[in-house]
Amino acid sequence: MEFNSEYEFDAPPEAVFDSLTTPETVAGCLPGCESLEPLGDDRYEAAMTIGVAAIKGRFRGTVAMRDMQRPDSFTLQVDGKGSTGFARGEASIEIAPNGTGSTVAVQSSAKVGGPIARVGQRLLVGTAKMVADKFFACLRKQVEGKPDRS
Amino acid sequence: MSATTFGSGIRRREDPRLITGNASYTDDITLPGMLHAALLRSPYAHARINGIDTAQASEAPGVVAVYTGADTEGDIAPAPCAWLLPDSDLKIAEYHCVAKDTVRYVGDIVAVVVAESRYQAYDALDLIDVDYEPLDAVVEPKKAAADGTPQLHGEIEGNQAFHWTVTGGGDIGEAFSQAEVVVKETIVQQRLIPNAMEPRATLASYIPATGELTVWNTTQNPHIVRFLCSLVIGVPEDRLRVIAPEVGGGFGSKIAVYPADFITIFCSKKLGVPVKWVESRSENYQATTHGRDHVQEIELAATADGKITGLRATVWAGMGAYLSTAAPGIPTILHGLMLSGVYDIPAIHEDVYGLYTNTTPVEAYRGAGRPEATFMVERLVDLLAAKLGLDPVEVRRRNFIPKFDNGHDVVTGLTYDSGNYDGALNKLLGESNYEQLRAEQAEARKNGRYIGLGLSTYVEICGLGPSQVAGAIGFQGGLWESAIVRFHPSGKVHVMIGTSPHGQGEETTFAQIIAGELGVSPDDVKVIHGDTDNTPMGWGTYGSRTTAVGGAALALAARKIRDKAKVIAAHLLEAAVEDMDYDDGKFFVKGSPDSSKTIQDIALMANVAWNMPEGVEAGLEATTFYDPPNFVFPYGAHLAVVEVDPDSGNVDLKRYVAVDDCGPQINPVIVEGQVHGGIVQGIGQALWEEGVYDDDGQLLTGTMLDYALPRADRLPDIEVHSTVTPSPHHPLGVKGIGEAGTIASTAAVYNAVIDALAPLGVEAVNMPLTPERVWRSIQAAQGRN
Repeated sequence: MEFNSEYEFDAPPEAVFDSLTTPETVAGCLPGCESLEPLGDDRYEAAMTIGVAAIKGRFRGTVAMRDMQRPDSFTLQVDGKGSTGFARGEASIEIAPNGTGSTVAVQSSAKVGGPIARVGQRLLVGTAKMVADKFFACLRKQVEGKPDRS
Repeated sequence: MSATTFGSGIRRREDPRLITGNASYTDDITLPGMLHAALLRSPYAHARINGIDTAQASEAPGVVAVYTGADTEGDIAPAPCAWLLPDSDLKIAEYHCVAKDTVRYVGDIVAVVVAESRYQAYDALDLIDVDYEPLDAVVEPKKAAADGTPQLHGEIEGNQAFHWTVTGGGDIGEAFSQAEVVVKETIVQQRLIPNAMEPRATLASYIPATGELTVWNTTQNPHIVRFLCSLVIGVPEDRLRVIAPEVGGGFGSKIAVYPADFITIFCSKKLGVPVKWVESRSENYQATTHGRDHVQEIELAATADGKITGLRATVWAGMGAYLSTAAPGIPTILHGLMLSGVYDIPAIHEDVYGLYTNTTPVEAYRGAGRPEATFMVERLVDLLAAKLGLDPVEVRRRNFIPKFDNGHDVVTGLTYDSGNYDGALNKLLGESNYEQLRAEQAEARKNGRYIGLGLSTYVEICGLGPSQVAGAIGFQGGLWESAIVRFHPSGKVHVMIGTSPHGQGEETTFAQIIAGELGVSPDDVKVIHGDTDNTPMGWGTYGSRTTAVGGAALALAARKIRDKAKVIAAHLLEAAVEDMDYDDGKFFVKGSPDSSKTIQDIALMANVAWNMPEGVEAGLEATTFYDPPNFVFPYGAHLAVVEVDPDSGNVDLKRYVAVDDCGPQINPVIVEGQVHGGIVQGIGQALWEEGVYDDDGQLLTGTMLDYALPRADRLPDIEVHSTVTPSPHHPLGVKGIGEAGTIASTAAVYNAVIDALAPLGVEAVNMPLTPERVWRSIQAAQGRN
């Protein structure tokens, strides 16, 4: 599965970068996220509930932040599994100045298997986009300190 | 024979219980103390198992046991492959029922949970933690053969399970080098996923005190299950009883004995209580055997006036991750030997490469190898017609094997039994009003409408088959059949058969055979099947063999009864046996039909035995083991009429006309039903069905939402006709009809769509012919992309 998208922020790249790499903020904004516990070395243990079509289940796994180039970019590596399948993927996140604000470009690809692939394949990209949209909308509210624009 | 019973379309006696919910399937059976098994299946197409943690699952509510590959080692032998294809360098990978250290397809079994309820067992599956190390996967058969692709079984080089060839007739190289015309095509026979109404299920009950094991199983062949279970599980055959209760369809997918069956038996043995496992529909998609999956490169050599001089093909057949029970014989024996079709072809050569891929194992699926052969031949004949500007009817006529009624040899080594291929085609042309349809097609084209006519003239091999041949081609069993006919004192009859019908209607047609042979009412005959403890050994129901082989055994057993009854009747009428006559259930002295003994009179006397001829045993019962001298070869001609909408790519199937010849029909209504169902399954392959894996081996068509099965509202009224050419070697002259429709119809529909698209320049489209694919092919042909 591949998923790419862009999000605009009314805040400078440094603020966006910091917010995107702060576990508490991420955990608070990620829909379905139940916990994000640091394991050290920018790795975290995560638990979250994800639903794709009729397939809803709890996933456990690790999230690692790599190649941290503040404020320009970093890479997210995700490896999780649960009763409804597994997902392993990588997302490159690039933050570019855009006038007084910034643009976050997300490029991600993941291998997904198990029931979520078999039953929900047609809806996976749509679900990923929905989760990402919600996440960035929430994050934007925090970074910009004002109500959601979207 | 009685004119009122044999050959009449009486209603299926199976149906009242099926349509009122009174039938009892494996899942309907509940035993005291029974536990439920659920299987943990791999979500990866290829991965190493670094560890399995079952601790949490074992503690879950209701869970009695959790077993992994390590726990079953030594107790369950690898699942056997029972078709050891000779001269093919066959390499059988060990198929561990529960994976040991590697999983090789999505659905490979990793662990089993046994719990007090099915729901508890499924819930506990979620608590098993498997540490997988993903490996690269390969899903397409031709890619699996290429250098540098992931290897499934380290010890088997190049993923190659076998390389089988058939060569017959003249020099194939010469046929092509001297050909005036050559046509070629590459065909993808896409993977199909069987969807029997009843998913698979097993209930095993082992009694530790006696060492006896009873297995209820959704199988097409209970005696094979008993034989293989005794080998794999080690329970001797005399203490092993296999029962196929009501079985809701199989289409080949219930021939194999599966790892899940052995695992369920293992659990019952281990725990000493009955254990039941029932497949979910989702498991059916992942783990019940699939069908087809060929890539075929084919070519035909011919003279400029359309006479075929040679056929050459290379086929890459995906076998899945392991070889299922009968799998190696399907894309080879049942496929390559049929490449002459209904034509005189002087030289034939085919190479078939069977390849391991990270997919569900492939097995027989309705037609099993023969639809893939018919499609190749019928496609090539149409390509030749197009190239020469001839009507497809004309090219066929120039190459048909002429009418024969007692044997015709083709270069692949088979002897067809009887056929009149031009006769079937002529009947089809008349019934369909072919000339008129061609005129309408020409008229429609002028108005920008794209109508197509597609022919398929086929012959198939069924009634499997002579056991000596079975041995020679590596089938690890016999292919004869058995029947016991037993008259009770009141004249009622029990028939016990070794085949195992599961929807084909033999409880009705076999009663009609007895009625025809012995003059009893079909209502007085009960046909008993599917239980190894009360039926004679037999090899099961597949390959359109139940009536073609089992029906012959039954007819011969009935004739033994008639012979014995005649002796008893002669004694009672105080006449010499050679002076006796028989007609429709009555025995009488020649010329004196008014003074007769009925078969019921004889049955009573034979059972009480108060006054028997000297030296004649009591009882009226006969057993026959019938080993056929040859296969049977049903044939026919089918026509599909389609209209393609060039703006949407939608294919509208407007008419479907079939002429089939299965010899004399015991029950024409049942024949028509078999033809209908068969045709629809073939149409499904042409237009809608495709089992799709992504490059990582994830099954993307795992539900009925994603896998398009045929629906009644997309089908025309199927027009069924027949001709009657008896098989010269069969006691009743009958041939099989279970698979004929599927063998013919995919090619007919495909040829019709290509015929419709010809004015638009489209020459080939990969199946299934979905609107998107058809539309894109039109755009590409028109240079519009």
